[in-house]
Amino acid sequence: MNVLLEATGLSKRYGEQKAVDAVSFTLDAFTATALIGPNGAGKTTTLSMLAGLVTQTEGSISFEGSADQEIRSHIGFLPQYPKFFPWLSAIEFTEMAAKLSGLGAREARAEAQKTLEFVGLGKALNKRTGTFSGGMKQRLGLAQAIVHKPKLLLLDEPVSALDPVGRRQIMNLLKELQHQTTILYSTHILNDAEEMTDQLLFMQHGKLIEQGSLNEFRQRYAEPKIRIEFEGAEETQRFEQASPWKVELAGAIGWIDLTGKQVSMSDVLALLSSGRYGVRKVEKQSASLEEIFMKVVQ
Amino acid sequence: MAELANIPWNLILPILGLQLILMIVALIDLIRNQRTNGPFIMWIFIILLLNLVGPILYFIFGRRQA
Amino acid sequence: MKGFSVLLHKEWREQVRNFKLLWIPLVFIIFGIIEPVTNHFLPQIMKSVGNMPDGMDFPWPEFAPKEILVSLMGQYQSIGLLIIVLAFMGAISSERKNGTATLLYVRPISYASYFLSKWTMINILVLASVWVGFLAGWYYTAQLFGSIPAADVFAFLAAYSLWIIFVVSIVLALSAWLPTGGVAALGLFLTLIMAILDSVIGAYWTVTPWKISTYASYILMGSMDYPTFWKAAGLTVFLIILLVLFGSYMSGRNAAKTTV
Repeated sequence: MNVLLEATGLSKRYGEQKAVDAVSFTLDAFTATALIGPNGAGKTTTLSMLAGLVTQTEGSISFEGSADQEIRSHIGFLPQYPKFFPWLSAIEFTEMAAKLSGLGAREARAEAQKTLEFVGLGKALNKRTGTFSGGMKQRLGLAQAIVHKPKLLLLDEPVSALDPVGRRQIMNLLKELQHQTTILYSTHILNDAEEMTDQLLFMQHGKLIEQGSLNEFRQRYAEPKIRIEFEGAEETQRFEQASPWKVELAGAIGWIDLTGKQVSMSDVLALLSSGRYGVRKVEKQSASLEEIFMKVVQ
Repeated sequence: MAELANIPWNLILPILGLQLILMIVALIDLIRNQRTNGPFIMWIFIILLLNLVGPILYFIFGRRQA
Repeated sequence: MKGFSVLLHKEWREQVRNFKLLWIPLVFIIFGIIEPVTNHFLPQIMKSVGNMPDGMDFPWPEFAPKEILVSLMGQYQSIGLLIIVLAFMGAISSERKNGTATLLYVRPISYASYFLSKWTMINILVLASVWVGFLAGWYYTAQLFGSIPAADVFAFLAAYSLWIIFVVSIVLALSAWLPTGGVAALGLFLTLIMAILDSVIGAYWTVTPWKISTYASYILMGSMDYPTFWKAAGLTVFLIILLVLFGSYMSGRNAAKTTV
């Protein structure tokens, strides 16, 4: 795969405080990377350095193999709370953004219109942005970030400020963009990250503490369990007594922890059928990102 | 009444007219914008009562951008 | 100069839609008319308000037409400068503070064109306001006091415009450098207060931008010593260039302080 961007030892110090501390990672072209971490972990500062807003104290960023590129020519950036000039309309703002990123006048106009329609603002083209709701601003923010078809899309908490419906809609838009361009987005909401990611970067206290694909994380941290739903609580207890493995109980539900043990699904099924238990459901569960995250952070 | 007739209205009227325009522009902007630094009603009074200075104060200090 | 014309268009829309293009010229015109009118009627007003005993004649000075324009300039040197500084102190600093600048700064613009787009548009607006104000004042002065030769008025306006460009450059350079509050304080000091200080204690030096307005009035009166004026004007142009360079540099350096 082609490496689009490589960050090496990125640090940003504000006085004594290290907002970002020696962070290194690569972004492969046409992949989506989620930057995960609690508030104050240094996600926004990292994105700001990549966007060319903040100059790093140490470290380097190389884009397409070159360290002295004007990176701003190749990125689209969506801040967590995008702010627009309230006296410009949506189309005027997007058109200006496109022109500033190097599109010609006619192309800028056409692309601005097309992009606004894509994000669902087709009916609000000529409305002043000062009258926009939070959800509309987020859509416009996305439009201005993608109108010039950047090679790298940097999104800071793209859906955190939205209500569930708005979040779903923006998430769907982002998924349409996945694999069309390279995306790096930050979030503290792990469900969002689980939905669209080829690579995960975990940040805490300014440091990058883990990185890898979702599957790698699952293998590394997940404690797979078998979850069995019985017809009643007494069935669960009966099973627990008969079982050679440790079983966690919760009413009619029992879990068998598979970590580090040589327990296979067929063993469990064999035991279940031999005892004639009333079973509703048996399934293998893998850890959610939420659980992985808690482990990584600890 | 003779005093009133002596007032050179052709000189004074343009000043009053321009001040009125300024006041109306400030009021239109205030009502359309709805957002001010400080109470909305206060700015209406400032614009209406303080001739010339009122609209200037509103445009400089009262107007708030989103 | 990447993005200059696009940013200039944005500045134009800003001035139009924030009504600055309307209210600032209006205010300058109103002052331009009020000055000759009040001066013309001042003796009458004093007489009717002043409770003076009958028969006593207050020796009111007769104004020459040119003196009216000079006293209008005095108005612009106080209220006018106050309005210019306060109206434009946030031109760059508020954009940074409220975060609207962020989406400009992440694009491949040059900070020189960012600064110059503001500098150009605000200078056009302020100069146009000052000029229409003086033209209105000139017209009323001609009606009430007597005519002034056009050549004198335009020479005066040209010189005074240099001072106005200097003021705008100070305000914008400060706005690129400091938060809005600091711009207001230092901006008023460097324009309004310094002009007063220079006229009070600056008798021993002549080559200073803060005397340009006084020199403009000498030009109007026909009493200017031109070699002195050209030296002061040259220094002012030089300082304007420095302020523009400083403002462009500071816009870029402070880009990191924009609210993300």
